[in-house]
This record gives sequence, C-alpha cells and structure tokens, in this order.
Amino acid sequence: MTAAETRTEQRRTDRDPGRGPTRRNFLQLAAGATAGTVITRYASDIAHALERTTAGDMEVVWLQGQSCSGCTISVLQGQYPTLEETLREFRLDVTFHPTIMPEQGDAAIDAMSAAPDVLIVEGSVPTEIPSAATVGRTADGGSKSVYDWVQELAPESEYVIGLGNCASFGGWPAAENKERLYDLGSNVTGAKGLQFEQQDQPGVLGPDFTSGVGLPVINLGGCPPHPDYLLLTIATVLNGHVPELDEYNRPKPFYEPLVHDNCPLRGYFDRGEFAEKPGGEGCLIKQGCAGPYTHCDDQSRLWNDGTSVCLNVGAPCIGCMEPGFWDRFQPFDAEVERQSFAGPITPEQAGWIGLAGAGIGIGAHVARKLTGYGSFENDEDSIGSGESAETDGKERSE
Amino acid sequence: MVEVTIDPTTRIEGHHGTELEIEDGTVTEAKSMMKMFRGAEIITVGRTPRDAAQLTGTVCGVCFLCHRLCSSKAAEDAARNASAFDGPPANAVLTRDASEGIFYLWNHAIHLFALVGPDYSDAVAGTGFDRLDPLEGDGYMGALESQRKIMNALAEFGGRSPHPLSYVPGGLATRPDASTIEAVRSRVREVSNWLGPTEAVPEVLENVQNGTFDPELGEGLHDIVSILVAAAREGAADIGQGPNRYYSNGIFEDPETDELFFPRGVYRNGSVELLSKAEVVDGITEDTEYAWYTDDSGGSPTEAKPPEPEPDKEAAYSWGKAPRFDGESMEVGPLARLVIADMDPFNLREELGGGPAESNTLNRLVARAQETLLVRDQVLEWLDAIDPADPFMSDDWPAAFTGEGVGLFEPSRGALSHYMDVQDGTIERYQIITPTLWNIGPRDGAGDPSILEEAVVGDDVDDIENPLGVMRTIRSFDPCLACGVHVRSPDAEYETVIEPVKPGSAECLVETDG
Repeated sequence: MTAAETRTEQRRTDRDPGRGPTRRNFLQLAAGATAGTVITRYASDIAHALERTTAGDMEVVWLQGQSCSGCTISVLQGQYPTLEETLREFRLDVTFHPTIMPEQGDAAIDAMSAAPDVLIVEGSVPTEIPSAATVGRTADGGSKSVYDWVQELAPESEYVIGLGNCASFGGWPAAENKERLYDLGSNVTGAKGLQFEQQDQPGVLGPDFTSGVGLPVINLGGCPPHPDYLLLTIATVLNGHVPELDEYNRPKPFYEPLVHDNCPLRGYFDRGEFAEKPGGEGCLIKQGCAGPYTHCDDQSRLWNDGTSVCLNVGAPCIGCMEPGFWDRFQPFDAEVERQSFAGPITPEQAGWIGLAGAGIGIGAHVARKLTGYGSFENDEDSIGSGESAETDGKERSE
Repeated sequence: MVEVTIDPTTRIEGHHGTELEIEDGTVTEAKSMMKMFRGAEIITVGRTPRDAAQLTGTVCGVCFLCHRLCSSKAAEDAARNASAFDGPPANAVLTRDASEGIFYLWNHAIHLFALVGPDYSDAVAGTGFDRLDPLEGDGYMGALESQRKIMNALAEFGGRSPHPLSYVPGGLATRPDASTIEAVRSRVREVSNWLGPTEAVPEVLENVQNGTFDPELGEGLHDIVSILVAAAREGAADIGQGPNRYYSNGIFEDPETDELFFPRGVYRNGSVELLSKAEVVDGITEDTEYAWYTDDSGGSPTEAKPPEPEPDKEAAYSWGKAPRFDGESMEVGPLARLVIADMDPFNLREELGGGPAESNTLNRLVARAQETLLVRDQVLEWLDAIDPADPFMSDDWPAAFTGEGVGLFEPSRGALSHYMDVQDGTIERYQIITPTLWNIGPRDGAGDPSILEEAVVGDDVDDIENPLGVMRTIRSFDPCLACGVHVRSPDAEYETVIEPVKPGSAECLVETDG
C-alpha cells in the first residue's frame, strides 16, 4: 500500500458515517427552518464541527462533462457560506476544476487526485459519442473521454456527487431529438447521468454503484441547483452524516418540499384565478407551471442572497429539479397535463378539495389534479385515460 | 517533432484545445480544437419558439442571459415577418438592455479578475501586483464580492442567476415595480462605487504606475488598471496580433429610435463600415471542412441544416464550425465593438496598445476595461427609463405562426446570432453562431485560420514547457470553453510538465472562481 493509499484508507476509517460524531445533521436543519435561520445557525456550526472531524485537507475533483458551467457559476453565488469560505473552513483541496484551477495542461491533470474524497461531476456523460466530451489525454496521446474519467475516478472516490440535472439525470443534452434527425435516435449523443438516465437507472455507473463510504451517487438536480444544495451536502457528508436520500438519490430535505405548496402565487390557485399570459395576474398553472410536480425548497430558500425565486418573477416553474426535466414538462408554456401530484396531500389541500367539492367553480378539476389525473381544459378526456395511467407510472408514488 | 500537450488549458469556460507547431522558438501554426458537442440545434428542432429560448438559454451557464435574449429576438423576428407580432413593448427592450448591461459588468469583472487577472498577479507572474493574487489579494476578494452583488441585481428581474426564467419571446414575464427597479439600481450603484469614477482613470493610471493606491478613486478601478499596466509591462501588446478585422452586431437599443449604443458593422481594410441587419446576415457563412460535421452542414446560416455530427471525420479537429464574413475571419468582442464604435476612452489603446484598432492581447484587455466603464455609466440610465406603469409583455405574442427569423445580438464575448424557421408554431430549422466560434473556431475550407489560430502564429515561446504568452493570448479572447494546447515542434517528441503555480493549496486553487 502506498502512502497515498494508506492516507485514503485512514480517512475512510475516520469518516465512517456510522462512527461519525453525533452532531446536528445540517440537512435536517436546513429542512426544518426558514432560510435566514438555517443560514445563520449553519455557518458557525459547520466551521466548529469540521474543525473536529477534518483531520486534513479533503481532496475534491470537479469534472465537467457535457456541461454549460452553469452549476459552477451557481455555486460561486453561494453566500452563507461562500464558496471560498467553504473551501477554507472545510479545508477542501480542489485538486481539479477546469474553470477555477491555476494549472493547465498536464499539470492540471497531474494535480488531480486519483482517489478523491469527493468527486463532483457537472454535466452529462455522452455514451454514444464519447468524443463529445473529453478532458486531457490518454496514455497514447488521444483525447480522454469524460466517460473514461468517470469510470476511473468514481470507484476510487469516497463520495460522488452529481451536480445539476445533467450529471444527475442526463438533463439538457439528453433532451429528445424530436425529429430523429440524422438517425441519431432520441438521445443525440447518448447523454446520461451518473446513475440515472432520466427517471430510470442505470446511468453510466450502473444501478449497484456505491462510492467508498457505501453511498450511491448523491444527485443534486436543478438547472442549476441552488448553491446551498452543494455546499450543505458537502458539509453534511464531511461531517460524517449520511444524508437521507429520496428515490432519485436526492437529499430529501432539499428535494421533498413541493414547489406548489410553497408558491407565492398559491393564493391565486386556491381562488381559481389563473394567468392568461406570461406576466399575467394569477396562478401560472395554465402557463405551464410544473410546480405541482416539482420538488425543491427554493420557494423558501430563495436565490442570490434571498433576492428572489422563479415564481416571484412571473415565470412558471419548469421542473428543472426533476428527472426527465426538459421533455417531461415541455412545451413549457402549455399546461402540464396528466401527471400526478407528487407529494403528500397536505391538510390545507385536502380542506380545499372539500371546499371545492362543495361547489366552487373548477373544484372537480383540481381535485382530480390533486389525486393524480386530469387537466383544467379537457378533464373528461384525460381522466383515467391510458396515457395518464402510463405517465403516472413514472411518477413518484404518493 | 516536439509535441507538447497542455490539455486542458483551464481558466476559460468549456472544453477546448489548441495544437501549436513551433520552430526556432516561434509558433508557426496553430489548430484550435473545441472538444464538446451536445447537439443544441438538433434538440431545438421540433419545439416551440418559447421553448427554444428556454433550451438555448441554457446552452451556456456563463453567458446565461444572452442566448435566451438572442433566441427571443429570432422568434420575435420570425413572428414579425409572419405579420403575427408587432414587437416587444418599450419596457421589455429597456429591461433587456439594462439586464445585458449588468451582465456585461458581471462578465467583464469575472474575466478580468478571475480568468486573466491571475496571469498578471504577483503570485503567478511576479508582477508586484499582489492585490490581484487569487483568494488572498484584496483586489481579487473585492471582485468576488462585487460579482455576487451584481448577480443579485440580475436575480431581481430573472428570479435567479444564473439561468433566469422571466425573459420570453414577446417581452418579459415579470412586471418589476418601482421598488424592484430601485433595488436593482441600488445594487448597481453599490458595485459602481467599488468600481470608482470613470473620470479618475488618468489619475489612477498614474497612481498604479507609481505604485500608489488611493481607494477614494475606486478600488475596482485601481485593480483593473493594475491588470492593464501589468499586461503592458509583460509585453502583451506585442503578442496575439490578429488581422485587424472586426465584426459587431451592435447592442443596447433605444426603444424610441431603434438606435444602437454600440453600432452594428464591420471594420476591415482600416475603416469602419456600418451595416444593416440584412447586410450582416447576407455576409455570414459557415464552413465545416475541419469540423466533426458532415460537409453539407455548412453554408448560409439562414439555410443550412442543423449541424450533423460526423465524429470520425478524418480531416476534422474541432466540434466548432468556421464562421466567416464575406469569406474572411472576423474578431469579435469588446475590442471589435469599440473599434467599430470608434471609441478609445482616455486613449488607452492608442497609448498602451500601439493604436486604437490594433488587435493584440493587451488591447483586448484594455477594451474590456474601457467597456466596463462605458456600460456602467449607461445601465442606470436604462433603468431610469423603465416606466413600471407601462406593460412589459406584449398582448399579441402568437401561439402559432409560420415564418423565418434571425436574432442578432451582441453579448459581452462578441457577436451572437440565432436563426429559426417556424412552421405552424413548431421550429423546423435552427442555427446558432457564437462569439467563441468567430474567435477560436477551426480553419475554413480554403485553409484560412481562425482569429486565434492566426493570432498566436509568430509569437515567441521561450519556455516550451510553459507557453505563458500563448495562454495569455487565448484567455484574452475570453473564450467560453475549457481549453488545451498541444505544442508541436520539429525537434523531438516531448512531454511537458508544467509547474503549478502553487501546487496543492486550496488558496491557489480557487484563484479563478470569482
């Protein structure tokens, strides 16, 4: 065993989640409080906790596959903590990041840890045309595909994080080739996420993959994901906690809240007032809002230092946090039909259904939506149709 | 033959490589290789114009606003050509101008401080300018903080940054009220104060050259001028010389007069030619001889099919196509805009860069700095002109129409164009030509190099293991790709080992993240 291997083995032992110090699970904390309090309590807690659990620098490798770099730019906007604070306080040593590292060329590749503590992948991985995303060179001088990098690094990594919808589920590059141009099939480059292709396994790593600590790839969906999702997830795992994951391996505290439940326009929905055009007054469901089917806590967390969020600016939710994003909710300006409500029905909703049942206008339609079927326009056609049942099968169960 | 590979280059955005041939210490030939393909145009076909703005808007997470706006303009043009649409309301035009202007400030700050700044810092290049040192320098840290503030301003309109959602064909989904606009204004003012007064440039230049620092004149200004002075001292005016041919689509429309703050046109043979939109569109062709696309994928972007990948194509070396204007390569970006606008504030390019229209590595940085100040001074005016009582979204954006449209836009990195054909509300054909393609695409069928491929030829490479000048030149274009450089020289097969600047330290590794 080389010194480096010994060091890695030692770290593995040190950070066995089962033996980690009993500290607050920051993700649970994040779920349970409003943004301001989470942030405030989190910042001091994390630094304190990590001083105890971090024996030395944690090596991070950040690979970009078919990415737009938007996840990187998003993380740069993190404010509590900032990325630079995170790196310092978590003692992260980013041994490779194409956009931010000082080295270039072979030195950049040489600097890359071969057995990182945390492997972060941004962007999808092309499997049909592997040359569609390459970094550095192979031993014989050819371009080395991101697919090969992932296969090589992931099994050596303690934690693997799929950052963004593309790395998690295939995302943008996996969006459908609708006209089947050039016989390329539905997925032009065979773009996949690390462990998922849209809602289905496997991605490029296969369904049984687990990283060094025995976890699957932690998926942080979103186009882009909120910066806190990455920074808090890193804090959690490096602090020795195992994040509780949903069926798509997303940390539940971030991805359990339903956008629709926390929507600033929810009052309009409850009153049955719907916007007739973008920017119009009312609930945006008829403008294609995917809020009833999309899970994230951004409505309360807000973006860019608490500045705003999509639904605050008249923009319907596009469902970017979800697997299947792009084709599942498009066209984005048309009402999303025949998908089940993806979360538990809250008492508030249940009460509303009762009210609707008592005779308020569109009540029947909405009740159907809440229970999984129907559209506002063509409720007779869509209820119980084969298509709705089929789509439903891909949905999260209630 | 010596072959040195530097792949990836890093500190630019995306996947890219360059191969250099070197003889007697001088670059004799270069190949610029884009190393990623996703199929944006293919995926866009079969969708609605509204969804095209969403989909192509996320082509890039660094230039996250411009593709969305350019696609929207193409859709609006197509609808107008179909007589189905009258144009977006004045408020939408002003908000788009202000937003893209704010984006310029963000992007130029990121580029100057985080991507190229380290090349001229004390820590990396021993220039004495330690305020530019990654993560440690006060200048660098101030820029990091300022980029966040300016992004927050954008989020007021877009809901979030990057990848805002409120900009749509037909106008703006959001209806910012007076207090939202004031919030944007105050965030811009705050960053503006960090930047300092434009008229202080000569005094700051003197200060920097004398090694004094007066924060009263703007910390940002001091640091930006430091980058320019360091670059000048390092000889950046003598490297990366392009052909002095420039092209700009122009940007920042006055909604009343349709006049552009930066005009549309080209500069060639030593003079400016202001052009109409049609004249610009007519001049553009794309060539795929050296691209991993079928040979019939090129041509006029108003007619060419979406690029069809051919990954095993023998002669090809790039996933980028070669755009040309009247058959010639054209440099795009801040330098192109200012040359075509005939602007050289404070004669900086004249005095530092060998002439206002000279294409070189230093002048690209100078123009970016000059433009930062010019646009900063305009953004508040555009914000002031928005009247929250008036509409932001047009009433007549058509759900379905048949027409062809072109969106010409001029984001921070240079000329961008989107082309769409729409049939009954569904896109049948789509093309995108990005600024980075203009600057660092591959050769064309005539064998003529792209701007970058031409600019590095003739540059000296003193240290084949660390062609710093070449790296500085590549980064001066602010390409939106991650990059690699292959160096070939006739002497021997050669494996390079580039010494990291400060190997292994976290401080060092975040140097460019601002």
